Amino acid sequence: MENENNKELDAFTDSTENNDDKEDAPEIEKVKDSQEELLLCEDKLQRVLADYQNLERRSKMDVTQKVTLKVNQLMLDFIGIYEDFIRAKSALTDEGADTEGLLGVIKNMETILSENNIKEIEAIGEIFNPKLHDAVSTVEDNLLEEGTITQEVAKGYISFQEVIKPSKVIVSKKK
Amino acid sequence: MAEKIIGIDLGTSNSAAAVIQGGKPTLIPAAEGTTVAGKAFPSIVAFSKDGDLLVGEPARRQAVTNPDNTIREAKRKMGTEFMYKIQGKEYKPQQISAFILQKIKRDAEAFTGDTINKAVITVPAYFNDNQRQATKDAGTIAGLEVVRIINEPTAASLAFGLDKNKEDMKILVFDLGGGTLDVTIMEMGGGVFEVMSTSGDTQLGGVDMDQAIKDYVIDEFRKKEGIDLSSNAQAAERVRESSEKAKIELSTVMETEINLPFIAQDSSGAKNLEIKLTRAKLDDLIHSIVQRCKPSIEKAIEDAKISISDITKIVLVGGPTRMPIVRKFVSNAVGKEAESGVDPMEAVAFGAAVQAGIIAGDVTSDIVLLDVTPLTLGIETLGGVREPIIERNTTIPTSKDKTFTTAADSQTAVTINVVQGERPMVADNVALGSFNLTEIPPAPRGVPQINVKFDIDANGIINVTAKDLGTGKDAKITIESSSKMSEDDVQKMKSDAEKFAEEDKKKKEEVDIKNEAESFIYTTEKLVSQDLKDKIPQEKGIKITDAIKELKESLTQGTDQIKLKLEALKTIVNEVTTELYKNATPPPGADQKSNQEQSSSGEQTTDEQKSDPENNEEQKSDPENNEEQKSDSEQKSENP
Repeated sequence: MENENNKELDAFTDSTENNDDKEDAPEIEKVKDSQEELLLCEDKLQRVLADYQNLERRSKMDVTQKVTLKVNQLMLDFIGIYEDFIRAKSALTDEGADTEGLLGVIKNMETILSENNIKEIEAIGEIFNPKLHDAVSTVEDNLLEEGTITQEVAKGYISFQEVIKPSKVIVSKKK
Repeated sequence: MAEKIIGIDLGTSNSAAAVIQGGKPTLIPAAEGTTVAGKAFPSIVAFSKDGDLLVGEPARRQAVTNPDNTIREAKRKMGTEFMYKIQGKEYKPQQISAFILQKIKRDAEAFTGDTINKAVITVPAYFNDNQRQATKDAGTIAGLEVVRIINEPTAASLAFGLDKNKEDMKILVFDLGGGTLDVTIMEMGGGVFEVMSTSGDTQLGGVDMDQAIKDYVIDEFRKKEGIDLSSNAQAAERVRESSEKAKIELSTVMETEINLPFIAQDSSGAKNLEIKLTRAKLDDLIHSIVQRCKPSIEKAIEDAKISISDITKIVLVGGPTRMPIVRKFVSNAVGKEAESGVDPMEAVAFGAAVQAGIIAGDVTSDIVLLDVTPLTLGIETLGGVREPIIERNTTIPTSKDKTFTTAADSQTAVTINVVQGERPMVADNVALGSFNLTEIPPAPRGVPQINVKFDIDANGIINVTAKDLGTGKDAKITIESSSKMSEDDVQKMKSDAEKFAEEDKKKKEEVDIKNEAESFIYTTEKLVSQDLKDKIPQEKGIKITDAIKELKESLTQGTDQIKLKLEALKTIVNEVTTELYKNATPPPGADQKSNQEQSSSGEQTTDEQKSDPENNEEQKSDPENNEEQKSDSEQKSENP
């Protein structure tokens, strides 16, 4: 666009070459001003476009982040109930009750977790990893390798690569 | 677009950061995600057994397994000489804070997609210069240019937009965190936030409230089922989680239920925990904890020397202030509604981001936001007296200077000892640093003019320059974080300042009168042995010598004795000089000159001293002490 303007300016200059320079001067100035204004507008336009693209990218990211956060929160609430069902199964099994139907419910719940790529974090017997586990206390044990998880106080979960809830654990420590 | 500057609330237990996006502050999430009820970045640093550095949430998670290599609350040690020894290496508190800032920088870059090189960091209002400098250093170590350090209550007020108010205000900032309470009274007028008083309790916070709720739930279950859940780690953890959830819910609803099925088991089968918790019950449970906040509010009001009705705005900061009972308590205590519209947990970080936005040009503000010096800055003068240069609550940035002189004849060097505090005697204040100005040309005491200039930049960092006005030679110091004043010490110093006001005044008087006596002895001896050697009658000379001797002896005794003997010597000297002038025939036009000499008692004064009678007193010294001063104070000049 800049080149086209220059051509226009050249053409304008050529066609008036025989005229008095003094008479041409204001016209040339006017064109120069317009040209500068145009450059400014172009620059502004480019910036606005860049801002818009940034905003678009940022908005997309914001939406993704917010949706992920909400889904994770919802899944954690769901996991709370899923864990209650596991406890119920355990208690009912101890009492010798029929848990077949309950097992079916649990299986369905596990399918939902799987569909959302939510996995339990391995804990008992693993070496403590602060990226996955949250230590609530230690227990002295000379037989185990230092830092071995001996008890899982609360289960932890991972969704894709993100830890949505670290598992709360008790860790071994040598005397 | 302007370079992004982030705002950081570098807290004792937890930190938070925010950045202006689309004209509004946005909280920066940690890479690990936000914690349930805490800020994004626990202020914890640890080194794993393999020497790996862990910062923030991962460091918190492993703390109980690795307590020796885990550092918490490094903020409390900022500005001190304390060194952390971890795995054979030593770390300064600012290095530990730098690890936290580095982590925040990294996560902020991931969040914004920009490189972050600049930050505004908040500090408590009572932080002294060393602590502020240490905070700034921590930023530098972390690769952040700290463009401004602002007070936490100032930041909170900014987040609530109080800087937009045109009228003067007195603001009470009530900051109840996880484990500490800080109450600050600030005055805002003409774009300046001035801290009037601070008080608090380092052992009071939201943790106590969570514990009270958890204890209640466990107690209720024990009463009903006879089972102690606290002995079962899994059950206790479930109770803790649900108590916290219930507490948060009760901020918006009047009643909630804690429902934990299969929480325990005994011979009769599985046990379920079902407890209804009402807001009234919650209020009842934490009532005593909330009431413990009252003395801190009262003390802040008392220290600010205002009445409670003078408070025009209340700003709440910290997670626990989200609870209606806490909000109501503060409103009732002050008799006004607290400001709303900003999450109290995020207020400080948001305010820091707003300040960052103003600096970066992302946020427009027609108010120039300024802070003030928290404590008086001065230098040591003769006799250990603190001479204030910049009074506390002076708006910064600022620059002030005073001119001093030497205490001894032919003194070629002076030591500028920079102190900070509210007490008149140097020993009761905190020494920030010292430096020497040397190569002063030998001259009689009182002749050299040494200009001491204090410059404080917008971050409250001090640069002190001493310049010999005769030669133009100068020396300077930028106060390093070398001093040793804890938060408690600052508070203690402030209360001591009031408590010991009378005692200090007496101590200062003692030093002043001693200085005056020593100076008068010096002047008189010079008068008798040199200036008027042949003009004083012998018996008068003996009288003066005796009076000098008596005055010298009295210097080791009490103030009253010194005053008495000084007056006696002055009377004799006056008699002699009056007699001399009576007998003298003044040459034409000499009247004025002789008057001048008499009025200045032969002493030389600088401009500053002429305008300040106190300095004249301090300038006096005595020949006996001169020897001592040459060795000890070669450097300890009088002023300085």
